[in-house]
Amino acid sequence: MAASLARLNGAAPVHHARRVGDRRTARAVHYAMLCPTLLLLLAFLVIPAIYVGWLSFNTSTYGQDVKFVGVANYAQLFADPIFWRAFCNTFFVVNGIVYAELLLGLGLALLLSGPLPGKALIIAVILAPYAITESSGIVMWRYMFEPDVGMVSQFLGRLGLAQLDWSTNPVQTLLLASTIAIWHHLPFTFLILYAALTTVPRDLLEAAEIDGATRWQQFRFITLRLIMPAILIAVLFRYIFAIRTFAEVWLLTEGGPARLSEVLAIYLYREMFKYHQFGMASATGLFMLVMSLVIALPYLRRMYREVMRGA
Amino acid sequence: MNSRRDALKALGGALAALAASPFTSGLAWAAERLTIIGHAVHKAAATTGAGGDVTAAWRAKQGTDIEWLTFGVEAANERAFKEASLADGNADIVFILDRYTGPQYAGLFEDLRPWQAKDPIPDFAEIPAGMVAAHTFGGKLTAIPFRHATHGLHYNTEFFAEKGVSAPPRTIEEAVALAEKLTYKRADGVQVYGLVMNFDDPATPIDWIRGFGGDFITSDYKIVIDQPAAVRGVAALVDLYKKGVLPKNSMNLKTEDVTTFMQQGRGAMTNNPFNRYINYNDPKASKYPGKIAVVALPLAIDGKPMPAKTSVWAMAIPRNSRNKERAWSLVKYLSQPDSTVAETLNGNGPVRPSAYEDAKVKALIPYAAAEKQALGSARLVVPGFANSAKAMDIFIEELGNAMLGTKDPQTAMSDVKKRVQPLLPA
Repeated sequence: MAASLARLNGAAPVHHARRVGDRRTARAVHYAMLCPTLLLLLAFLVIPAIYVGWLSFNTSTYGQDVKFVGVANYAQLFADPIFWRAFCNTFFVVNGIVYAELLLGLGLALLLSGPLPGKALIIAVILAPYAITESSGIVMWRYMFEPDVGMVSQFLGRLGLAQLDWSTNPVQTLLLASTIAIWHHLPFTFLILYAALTTVPRDLLEAAEIDGATRWQQFRFITLRLIMPAILIAVLFRYIFAIRTFAEVWLLTEGGPARLSEVLAIYLYREMFKYHQFGMASATGLFMLVMSLVIALPYLRRMYREVMRGA
Repeated sequence: MNSRRDALKALGGALAALAASPFTSGLAWAAERLTIIGHAVHKAAATTGAGGDVTAAWRAKQGTDIEWLTFGVEAANERAFKEASLADGNADIVFILDRYTGPQYAGLFEDLRPWQAKDPIPDFAEIPAGMVAAHTFGGKLTAIPFRHATHGLHYNTEFFAEKGVSAPPRTIEEAVALAEKLTYKRADGVQVYGLVMNFDDPATPIDWIRGFGGDFITSDYKIVIDQPAAVRGVAALVDLYKKGVLPKNSMNLKTEDVTTFMQQGRGAMTNNPFNRYINYNDPKASKYPGKIAVVALPLAIDGKPMPAKTSVWAMAIPRNSRNKERAWSLVKYLSQPDSTVAETLNGNGPVRPSAYEDAKVKALIPYAAAEKQALGSARLVVPGFANSAKAMDIFIEELGNAMLGTKDPQTAMSDVKKRVQPLLPA
C-alpha cells in the first residue's frame, strides 16, 4: 500500500530505494571493517578452541601419534580427586577474589567520588599495583612473608603474633594468594566503578535529598541502580580472569604442600608442561572454558536485560 | 622517462644496499650458526672458567658460531622436546636430563649409533655404561652423556666447630644425630637448621631413603617405596621435620632456596650436587666463603657406601635439525677426553672418570676425589619411563602428606605404590 502511494506521487520510491541502498552499502562496509578483527578472532581463538576440543578426545604427547580415545580423558579427569580439590580451591579463590575486590573497589570509589583531601595521591596509590609486573609483585609478597626472615614475619614475631603459615597450611596459602590477587587487580574494578560513579547525575541525588531520601536510600535506589551495568561488567571480567588464577599460587607454593593448594590452572599446567599429556590438558582447559561460560551467562543475561531496558 | 629511470636507479641502489646490509649478512651468518638448548650450567661448563672456552677452537675451525638458549631444568627439557617435535626445527643440539626423558621421546632424536660408527668419539667406552643406558631406549642411543650431578654432603665447618663437632658424619645414624645437634639459634639470633633439603623433586629425599636401605623404583621397574627399609627412611625424615631440624617450609624449597640457606648460614648440612660447592663458597654471594666443605655421603645403614643420587645430562640431536653434521661434530668435540678435563675445570661433573686423575683437576677442584668416590655407587633417581614425571610428583605429594601428618609414613608410601603402579611400563 505504501509502495503504491509512493509510486503515485513519483518522488517517494526514489528516496525509498536510495535509503534501502544506503543501508545495504553501510552494512557491507561494516562487515568489511569488522573483517580483520573477525579473522583474528577466528585464527587465534575459534580455530585453536576447536583444536583443543578435538585434542581433548585424543591422547597426545611429544613424539607420539595422536590417538582417539573418546571421552577417556574426561573420565580420567573427573575420577581424579586432585582435580576436584583443584576445582574446589578455584571456586573459593575466585569467589573470594571477585567479591572482595568488588566491595573494596566500590567502597574506595564511593569514598573518592566525594570531596577528599589528597584524592589524587590516594588514587595513584590505589592504581600503583597495576604498574608492577605480576610476577615481581608476587615474589615481593613472598619475600615479605618468608618464614623466619621475611619483613612481615619478623614484624609479627616482634609483636608476639604468630607468623602466617602459608608454606604448610593450604588454607593460608590460598588466603595469601587471594590477597595478592586482590592487591594487584583492585585498580581494574576500582577504575570501572569510579568512572561509573562520576556519571551519576548530582541533580538526581539532590532531588532525592529534597524529597527526604536518606543517604542509604539515595545509594540503594539511585546510585547503585545507575552503576549496575558497570558493576556487572567488572564482576564478569574479573570472574573470567580470576578463573585462570595461576601465578599467585604457582610462585608461592606451586600448588603445594602435597598439591593441597592447587588450582585448576596449575592442574592444567602440570598436565601440559610437566607430564606432556596434551589430551588431558585440553580436557581440563575445555572444562575451565565451560566453567567460565556457566558463570558468565547469568551476568551476560542480566546485562542484556539492562541494555534492552535502556533501549 | 627521467622519473622512471630515476625510479629504477633508486630501486637498484636500494637492492644493493639491502644485499650489503647487516640484515642479509645476518641471514648468511645464520646458516653457519648452531643453536643449543640447555641449562646455564652447560653453557658455563663449555665456555667459562679455569678450563677456558672449550668451544673456541671448534668454532674457529668450523667457522660456526654457537647460539646458546638456556632455561631452568624443567623448562630446558620442555623446550627441547617442543623444538624437536616441530616440523622444521631451530635447535641443533639439546641437553636432556635422564629423569625427564623416556622411550616415548626417542623418536624425536637422531639415533646416535650410526653417527658414532661413522665418526666415533674417541675412547667412548670410558663413559660409564650406566650413564649411556640412561639415554638409551629400545637399543637406540638418543643422547651422549655430558654431565653428571652427583650428591655429596655439604656442611658448614664454622657451625660444626661452634657445636664442638670435629668431623662430618660417617654413618647415616650419625648424620641424623648431628642434624639434630646442629639445629640451634646462634648468638646473633639466626636460626640454624641442621639439615636443609629441597623437596621439588625426589632427588634429595631419595638419598636418605637409600641410606636406610630403601628405594623408590628399582632399575627393573619394581616399586619398593612401601617396603620397611624405605618407610624407615621416610619416617626418619618426617621425624626430623617434626623436630624442626628441617625448616618448616621445607616442602616449598627448591634448589635455589637451599643454596640461599647455605650461603646465608641458615643451614648446617645439605645433600646436593658436589659442584654446588662453588656456589655455597662464592665470596660474592655467601656469608661463609671457604667454610662450606663437601664430602661423600655417609655410609648407609648396612655399612656400605650410601648410593648417592646422580643425574645425567646428555646431548641429543633433534631429528629436525638442519645442521646434523655440524651438531655431531660439536657433540664429538665436547665429549673427547681433553674437552672433558677442561669442562671439569669449569665446574662440570665429568662423565669420564679419567678426568678426576688430571693434575689440574686435582689441584683446582677440592672435591674431585670425593666426587669420584661417590660416583662409584651412585644411582639415578628413577629409571626412565614414559610417566616418570608424574610418578615423581606422586611420590613428593605423598611424602608431603607424611610430613604434614595427614598420613602416617607407611600409608603414604603404600598409596605411592598404588598410584604409581599403573604408570609403570608393562
